[in-house]
Amino acid sequence: MAKAAEIAIAPDEPYRAAAARIVRVRARELVEQAGGVLDVRDIERVHDMRVASRRLRAVLEIFAPCFPPQEFGGVLRDVKQLADALGERRDPDVHIDALTAFALEVPPAARPGVRRLVAEQRDRQAHGNEVLAAELERVEHRGLRERLLALADAADPPTAP
Amino acid sequence: MKARAVAGLDPDGTLADNAERIVRVRLDELCSFMPRAADPAEVAALHDMRIAAKRLRYILELTAPCFGPYAEKAGRQAKEVQDLVGEIHDCDVQIPETEAFAARLLAEDAEALRAAAGDAPDLDPALLRTAPHAREHAGVAALLTHLRARRALLFGRFLALWDDLERKGFRARLEFAVAERPGDLHISQRR
Repeated sequence: MAKAAEIAIAPDEPYRAAAARIVRVRARELVEQAGGVLDVRDIERVHDMRVASRRLRAVLEIFAPCFPPQEFGGVLRDVKQLADALGERRDPDVHIDALTAFALEVPPAARPGVRRLVAEQRDRQAHGNEVLAAELERVEHRGLRERLLALADAADPPTAP
Repeated sequence: MKARAVAGLDPDGTLADNAERIVRVRLDELCSFMPRAADPAEVAALHDMRIAAKRLRYILELTAPCFGPYAEKAGRQAKEVQDLVGEIHDCDVQIPETEAFAARLLAEDAEALRAAAGDAPDLDPALLRTAPHAREHAGVAALLTHLRARRALLFGRFLALWDDLERKGFRARLEFAVAERPGDLHISQRR
């Protein structure tokens, strides 16, 4: 699993400066995890992106008072919707893994039923992938990354070099 | 579950002072689910408690260096609660899904047997061998049994974990830690 970047913080730094810096890092991590996320042969990719989306959502909520309310509301909704779509794909991934392992442990007479459940989960996985593909396109179209960076800039404008 | 609002946050204040306010509210939120969530039938309370543990974990993972040393440990403990309750939640989602699946297979088989019986005056039990899902019931029942037993086992572990956290003063120690600042440690050590 991709580990979130350690972010150095200082207790005395302004809340809004920390907000800007941390949102920039977590937004970048989310975008970096998007590659190959629709490939069902490597289920860790969607897991990593889901974790990144949760971390981003958490920091948005922690630093909410630092952002312009109207822009913040729209960005948070989009991040939540993306996280939900990632969950639609991730849940069947986990069930397929668990059921496949379970099938190896049960008596042979019980395996056809478990295989039937795996087949059901494969259908859910395919549907989840369609939901996720559409959501990835939607957030791209809505410029989520750029809006996240704009939120960070609004909290604490970058200083000129 | 909607997070409880945190009063008095100030974007121009320090990170530590704002984070302290958030941690106090999130900690209170987490603890407020007990003892209700200790009832195995209170599935919704346990689910909300998992979300509260997640929120506390995330704020502590990010801001523990602002506080006394116990804050980092408390973040790991919140994660432990979140992970364990998450496993229970997975059972709570899968059990009704599997029950519904089993009921669907039974209903389809019953319908198929009724059709196969045609005009017979009674149902021949031998027809069961021809039921479309005849070979699948055992596996679904095995999974359901496994999930119910696993839920009970994990729930017992959750009660033991929470009891252990309480005995070790999780809440009081975290409340103390968030009032500390790294530069103040020599003061707390003298206490």
